[in-house]
Amino acid sequence: MPSLRSCEKIGCGDENTDMNVCSTLQTQDLWSGGRGIPACVPILSHLLRRRDWLIASAGTLALGSCARRPRPGAEPRVSITRAAAYTQDLYDSVRRILAEHRLEVRGKQVVIKPNLVEYDPQTVINTHPRLVHAALEAFRSMGAAGVRIAEGPGHRRGTLDLAEAAGYFEAIPRFEDLFTDLNLDETSRLRLSRPSSRLDWLYLPRTALAADLVVSMPKMKTHHWVGATLGMKNLFGVVPGGVYGWPKNVLHWAGIHETIADLQQVFPRLFTIVDGIVGMEGNGPIQGKPKPAGVIVAGGDRVAVDATCCRIMHIDPRKIRYLRLAETLGQTEEGNVRQIGEAVRSVETPFELIPEFAGLRVR
Amino acid sequence: MSFADDLSSIVALQGRDGGWGYRGGSSWTEPTVYALLAQAVQASTGESFARGAEWLRSMQRADGGWPPHPSVDQSTWVTALAVLLLAGRPDWTGRDQAVQWLLKQSGRESGWAQRLRLRLLGFGSQEIEQYAGWPWFPGTAAWVSPTALSILALEKVQRSWPQEAIRKRIETGREFLLGRMCQDGGWNHGSSKALGYEASSYPETTGLALLALHGAGSSRLGKSLAFAGQAYRSCRTAEGLSWLGLGLAAHGRTAAGNDKLKLIPRRNMVDAVLCMLAEAAAKGDNVFLS
Repeated sequence: MPSLRSCEKIGCGDENTDMNVCSTLQTQDLWSGGRGIPACVPILSHLLRRRDWLIASAGTLALGSCARRPRPGAEPRVSITRAAAYTQDLYDSVRRILAEHRLEVRGKQVVIKPNLVEYDPQTVINTHPRLVHAALEAFRSMGAAGVRIAEGPGHRRGTLDLAEAAGYFEAIPRFEDLFTDLNLDETSRLRLSRPSSRLDWLYLPRTALAADLVVSMPKMKTHHWVGATLGMKNLFGVVPGGVYGWPKNVLHWAGIHETIADLQQVFPRLFTIVDGIVGMEGNGPIQGKPKPAGVIVAGGDRVAVDATCCRIMHIDPRKIRYLRLAETLGQTEEGNVRQIGEAVRSVETPFELIPEFAGLRVR
Repeated sequence: MSFADDLSSIVALQGRDGGWGYRGGSSWTEPTVYALLAQAVQASTGESFARGAEWLRSMQRADGGWPPHPSVDQSTWVTALAVLLLAGRPDWTGRDQAVQWLLKQSGRESGWAQRLRLRLLGFGSQEIEQYAGWPWFPGTAAWVSPTALSILALEKVQRSWPQEAIRKRIETGREFLLGRMCQDGGWNHGSSKALGYEASSYPETTGLALLALHGAGSSRLGKSLAFAGQAYRSCRTAEGLSWLGLGLAAHGRTAAGNDKLKLIPRRNMVDAVLCMLAEAAAKGDNVFLS
């Protein structure tokens, strides 16, 4: 039988729980600059299974009540770095970006979540594998205890086949050993705290829940349902197809914008690196056209990163509903963000929008 | 490797609890059913099969359905797979409940509330789903794969326990599939158009849909069969090739270059078994239909 290999929290809320935990969680701040998720946030007041608690340690924090008003001088940083192509110098660029953000990952478990959607390597649907490899190498060089790449595509079941066709096997040595298919990962059931959507709970993959840091690495794309798909929307890929199917239609019925917002509370320790080197415009996220934007946008404030990308794409972030719903998690206002690297004005390039989204354009 | 050698490899991966994982690890319903289907091709009723079937039976929930994994407290699409395997077994006592669970499931978009809502919003009858397919997860829309698997499962039940309700549901399921055909003749996950734009087919869902439509009459499927034949030649995944092979075989077609299956990487248990089942189907033993 060729190539078949053996391989390899916080759950709660159901009747089978044997432990009731309701406390505060001291979140170790991954940003040495003190930004990112506040050090002390209320944990979801829900029941936790002891085993899941141990596995995921600190996976769920209720952030809905943690409005983040930046202290003077403590505005979230978003970096914009020019990158004309997927060339070797990406490796230095990503190292520099992470250094600029003072990410402290020594001894931590990092999970990189790219956006893998379709098989065709000639299109711009997927996050480019070289950028993902550059991030992997950078986190390793920074002393991360473990770095995994993990993804759960929404339409296609053959995640490894998809990754191979998208160039990941070629670009990333030992890719198969480093990769977790989040669609088929073991799950924990999580009750959502004050959800924006109609969902009260979700099953989510333990690999992502147990990570000390999730790194969302989306492609900068327009999206025919929500306007733009960036770091926050990329978290749809953690919802396990093995439970919910392909597509993960439960998210659509519960409200796409709302579930994007809800997923953010489950992954409080998140850093975003957006592949905007060549993005997608028009009828994204699958059938659009390549749009060279020549940038990598990164930061620890996911809302600020996505809002910055929108501004680069000439989309008004205040008109993207999921960004408004997640405003308590980060900054949409440009004036509240400390921009490092390039200025938005110097790299902005209008992404073509389908007529249904013409109203999202910056006026 | 022969079918028997492949089967030995599958049996060797059986977990202590009797089930199978996707790539090792804990047992899931889907790979367990496929491992047992592979054994069923050889009419194996050995210890491995008995332990696997017992694990599967123990996973049936009070509502009649199956969860995808023991940690999931919800019956889902994998119920169709379990029924497909257990339907013909006289010692299975949970059949009626399982069938009732399957019959109760339908895509939310075909429910009266959603149809009324769309009508009030001014959608035309072509845009409103007339036929009930099956969802992956209860309370959501119907899609190609769970619909095809549910049709195949109910057909198996129908052979030993014929009922009008089952026959009707199989019929509407097939109409659902035909309605979701893409312009190229194949099927993708179940959305042939998005915002008016034509979407492309996938090999794996095309094969699976053709398999479920084996009794629908080839006159409506000429384009689909031609597409599947072409897709087989260009497909490079075990999942895609297997389902295409199974689908083509169900219509009496032989996939050109069947030896591709032997060379293609198999990513997990399900891939490995599907390749075996497709090879068996090419030789006339289609476990989904027999």
